Amino acid sequence: MVGFTTTIPLEVLLAAGRRPVDLNNVFITDPDPAGLIEEAEIAGFPRNICGWIKGLYGVVLRRGIAEVVAVTEGDCSNTQALMEVLTLHGIRTVPFAYPYDRSSETLSHEIAKLARHFGTTLEAVEAARARLGRVRTKVHEIDRLTWEENRVSGGENHYWQVCTSDMNGDVDAFEAEADAFLAEARRREPAAGGLRLAYIGVPPIFADLYPTLEEMGARVVFNETQRQFSMPYPVASVVEQYQRYTYPYDVFTRLDDIEAELDRRRVDGVIHYVQAFCFRQIEDMIVRKRLKRPILTLEGDRPGPLDARTRIRLEGFVEMLRGMRR
Amino acid sequence: MTALGIDLGSRQAKFAALRDGEILWLRDFDTIPFYKRFASLREGRLHLDFAALALLPAEELAATTAVVTGYGRNTLALEGARVVPEIQAHVAGARLQTGLDTFTLLDLGGQDSKVARLEGGVLVDFLMNDKCAASSGRYLENMAKVLDLSLEELSRHHRDPVPLDATCGIFGESELIGRVIEGHSLERLCAGVNNTLLKRVLPMLRRFPQETLVVTGGVAKNSAFVELLQETTGADIIVPTHPQHNGAIGCAALAGS
Repeated sequence: MVGFTTTIPLEVLLAAGRRPVDLNNVFITDPDPAGLIEEAEIAGFPRNICGWIKGLYGVVLRRGIAEVVAVTEGDCSNTQALMEVLTLHGIRTVPFAYPYDRSSETLSHEIAKLARHFGTTLEAVEAARARLGRVRTKVHEIDRLTWEENRVSGGENHYWQVCTSDMNGDVDAFEAEADAFLAEARRREPAAGGLRLAYIGVPPIFADLYPTLEEMGARVVFNETQRQFSMPYPVASVVEQYQRYTYPYDVFTRLDDIEAELDRRRVDGVIHYVQAFCFRQIEDMIVRKRLKRPILTLEGDRPGPLDARTRIRLEGFVEMLRGMRR
Repeated sequence: MTALGIDLGSRQAKFAALRDGEILWLRDFDTIPFYKRFASLREGRLHLDFAALALLPAEELAATTAVVTGYGRNTLALEGARVVPEIQAHVAGARLQTGLDTFTLLDLGGQDSKVARLEGGVLVDFLMNDKCAASSGRYLENMAKVLDLSLEELSRHHRDPVPLDATCGIFGESELIGRVIEGHSLERLCAGVNNTLLKRVLPMLRRFPQETLVVTGGVAKNSAFVELLQETTGADIIVPTHPQHNGAIGCAALAGS
């Protein structure tokens, strides 16, 4: 089992025959994610540090994960300190960096280094990419059924795409589940009318955001980062794939992708989720300046259901969009 | 027919009755005694003892439509009342009280700070404070207590504020105590407290047009704050006659429409 702190070239682990574990997914689906954060705080993690970092720490220790790939560039610098603390606990950590300038030279070097570490070859990595590509195509179809045919809910869309970061640790089983889901979803009646929302930013720490929005008559038809995890662009090589992947690079390329999807998916309003204490909160300024649609910036700190204040803000936003549509 | 508006806020439960767009009466109760005396939970819904509240004669109450907003609304549905989002209630109240339909609303309540933009009667953008209630009425109450003054006295001074920089409303108390020891005048200390409120609110206001600012919520009664806001923004500031009951008035307006 190899844990990782955010999406990495999954192809490498698959080619090496290792079981991938996206630590974020394990943390947020844990029966007691808040308990994992408490453990980290008791160990000494500050209160004013991202909940995900603390959750990942708790997951690695509690699940006895022996090796972790830590993304030290392209995600937050807190990961560096997390890696160091884990090293102190005797966990083997492997750094991986997305070069900010998207240099194909640096990125191919990083991927080659990762492949060497896990004892696999670039040929095997490309073969793994072809295998994953078949599964990813099915998830892209789930995404299309969400926005074009309105047969898949925003929460389901989130789930299927977010899981592509590690394919739930078992590619074959995940593919079979996706097939079954697709067969069922295609037979559904399309959802009627309602407001169409985009969700941008890192995946939410809240447990009930999507169903709450649907109760209010608004459906998420675009999950930005989750879709990026599913590698949505047709490309020729593993290096190109992780160059096109927008999440670890600059906000402007992310915004190009977001703007195109907002138009294509006929989105009424945008929810920009930011994690408390995250550097991406600063980028909210740029997001607001660039996107010409109503935006609600939502801040989450700890896992659990939406708090009363966030619900008030969501209700206000949905009501405002409804008023603008009239 | 009487329309009843209820705003279950963090500090007070407020009631407004309207008939044909005219305010009949306004009432308010401190939150905790209010819930203790008049509220109970029945099958997951909030039940209010209207007989004990004695707002209206029983026969008039039966013919009343009610709309509710506020904190109680989040987890509890009030029996016999339609629930509306807070922003909608405050905007409706400000429209009724000012007769305007294009303005920026600044509502500063017990815990919440809200900014909303209305253009031609349509809500086009809004913002609420998140995570921190240091720019709220409750903060002013605490600081008045630290200075051993009434809220009214605190609200009178805006000149030459003592600098206060704590970002936390609780640490702010010890910072203020430090300034008292340094021997600053009470007027300057009060002005400092009022100015911290302005510093918290300005970043929220920044992205909204500021030609006309309607200020509501209990903090709107703080004339020093309003003065500081006017000096800084140069806006045409309107404080409606009943700023603290604005949400309840808005609910009543929505109940009557």
